[in-house]
Amino acid sequence: MAAVLKVFEAIGRRTAKGFDEWGFAASLLAESILWVFVGRFYRQPVRFSHTFTEMMRFGIAALPIATLMAATIGLMLAIQSLYSLGLFGAQNFAYWGIALSVTREFSPLIMGILIAGRSGSAIAARLATMTINQEVDALQVMGINPVRFLVAPMLIALVVMLPCIAMWANVVSIVAAGLYVSAELDKTFASYVYDTLNVLRPDDVWHGIIKSSFFGLLIGLVGVMNGAGVSGGAEGVGRVTTRAVVQAITAIVISDMIIGYLSTH
Amino acid sequence: MALAAPASETFWKPTAEELQGRPVVIEVDHLDWFFGPRQVLFDVSMQVREGEIMVIMGGSGSGKTTLLRHLVGLMPPIPGKIRLLGQDLGRLKALEKLELRRKIGVAFQFGALFSSMNVAENVKLPLRELAHLDEKTMEIMARLKLEVVNMSGFGHLMPAELSGGMVKRASIARAIVMDPKLVFLDEPSSGLDPVVSSALDDLILRLREATGISVVVVTHDVESAFKIGDRITVLDKGHILACESPEAIRANPNERVQNLIHRRSEQVEVDPEEYLRRLAGD
Repeated sequence: MAAVLKVFEAIGRRTAKGFDEWGFAASLLAESILWVFVGRFYRQPVRFSHTFTEMMRFGIAALPIATLMAATIGLMLAIQSLYSLGLFGAQNFAYWGIALSVTREFSPLIMGILIAGRSGSAIAARLATMTINQEVDALQVMGINPVRFLVAPMLIALVVMLPCIAMWANVVSIVAAGLYVSAELDKTFASYVYDTLNVLRPDDVWHGIIKSSFFGLLIGLVGVMNGAGVSGGAEGVGRVTTRAVVQAITAIVISDMIIGYLSTH
Repeated sequence: MALAAPASETFWKPTAEELQGRPVVIEVDHLDWFFGPRQVLFDVSMQVREGEIMVIMGGSGSGKTTLLRHLVGLMPPIPGKIRLLGQDLGRLKALEKLELRRKIGVAFQFGALFSSMNVAENVKLPLRELAHLDEKTMEIMARLKLEVVNMSGFGHLMPAELSGGMVKRASIARAIVMDPKLVFLDEPSSGLDPVVSSALDDLILRLREATGISVVVVTHDVESAFKIGDRITVLDKGHILACESPEAIRANPNERVQNLIHRRSEQVEVDPEEYLRRLAGD
C-alpha cells in the first residue's frame, strides 16, 4: 500500500512541477511581449543590437549545418520517393510528394530539431551559468530586468530566424532533390522546378513558416525555463542542458503532430 | 585621480554622535526568513545611516548573505519590513523596484562580471542600459571609475583574464558607476591575500571619504571588519548578537561574540553515548 502511495505521490509531485514550469514559461512569454511593447516608455527598451546578435548566433551561424542537413534530406526524400513510387510506375510524380513534404513537414521539423540541439542547449547552458555565477542577480540589482535584457532578444531571434532557416532549407532540399530526380529520370532541372512551383500553394509554405515560428518559441521558452531553474553547480548546468534539448525536441515533435492533424482536418 | 594611497594612510571616520544625527537609509524591522522548515533569520532589526559603513559579520551559515539578499531586494521581506532610502521594499511594484535599484550598487562575492564582456563593457553596462548617455561620455565615466579602483589600463581584459583582487575591484567599479547612494559589498576580502585584502579595505574607506556614500559590507574577515566598520553587526545562527561600534564589539561580554572576533571555535559539551547513538542513526 505504501509503495502505491509513493507512486501516486511521485506522479502528483511531477505533475505539479510540470504545471509550475509551464506556468513560469507562460509568464516569461507574457513578460517578454510586455517589454517589447512598453519597454520604451519606461526607458528600458528591448535592444535591437542584442536581438541582432542573437539572430546572428541562432540563425546565420547555423546556416552551414542547416544547408548540409537540408541537402541531405532533399536527396534522401528523392531517393525514397523514386524507389517507392517506382513500385507503381509513378516516378514522374516524385516532385509532388517532395515539394509538399519538404515545405509542410521536413524543413520545419528537422530545422526545429537542429536548432533545439544547437541553440536550445546553448540558451539553457548560458542562462544556467549566468544564474550560478550570480550574473542574473547582478542584472536585477542593477535595475536591469533580466527578461527584457536576456530573454526577450533570444525569443524574438528564434521566432524570426527559425522560419528563415526553414525557408532556406525548403530551397536547398528542393534543389538537391531536383538535381537527383532530374538526373535519374533524365529530365531537365528546369522542368522539375516548373512542376514543383505548379504544385506548391502559398498555404503549404505558410504552414511551414508559422510552424517554424512556433517551434522557435518553444525552443526559447524551454531553454530559458531550464536554464533559470538550475541548481547544483557545474553538474546542474549539464543536467539542465540535456533536459532542455530533450524537452524541446519532444515538444516540437508532439506539437508538430497536433498542428499537422488540426491543419488537415 | 586614483584613490590608491600608501598603506599607512589614515581615514576619516564619523563619530557615533555624528552618525546619530544623520538620516536612516536602511531600516530592517523584525525580519524572519525560512528555507523550507529551517529558520535562518530570527527577528533581525537594524538601521544604517547616511555615510555610514556598516559591517555585517558572522561565521559561515550565520545568515549574512541571506540578509544581504533581502537588503538588495532579491528576497521578499516576509514577514518583516525593509525600508531602503525611505521606500518600503515589500510594497514596491516591480517597476518602482527597478527605479530604486538605480540608486544602489552591489558587488557580489565572486564579482558576477559578465563573462562575455570585457571589464570596460561590464562597467559601462548600467550606464548603457539605464542612463542613456552617448558612447563617449560612457567611455569617460567607465574609465574614471576604473581609475578609482586602480584598474585603469585593464578595461580591455576579459573577466577570465583577471586575478581575484582585480575581479573584486572591477565589480566595485561597476557597483559605483551610477553614483549610487548605497553600496553593498558581499565578502570583498574573501579569497584574497592579506595585502590585496588590506588595499581593498583602504579603497572602501577612501570611497566613502570621497563620495559620502553609505556602505554595507558582509564579511567574515574580523580584521577587515574592525578596520572599515563604523558599526559592526554580529550575526550568529540568524540572530543579531550585537550591533555597535568596533570598540564596543571588542568589549562585548557575549561569549559568542568573543569567540568570533578571536576566531575560537565554539566549545560544545558532547555526551559520548548520545554522540554514538546519533552516529548509529537512533
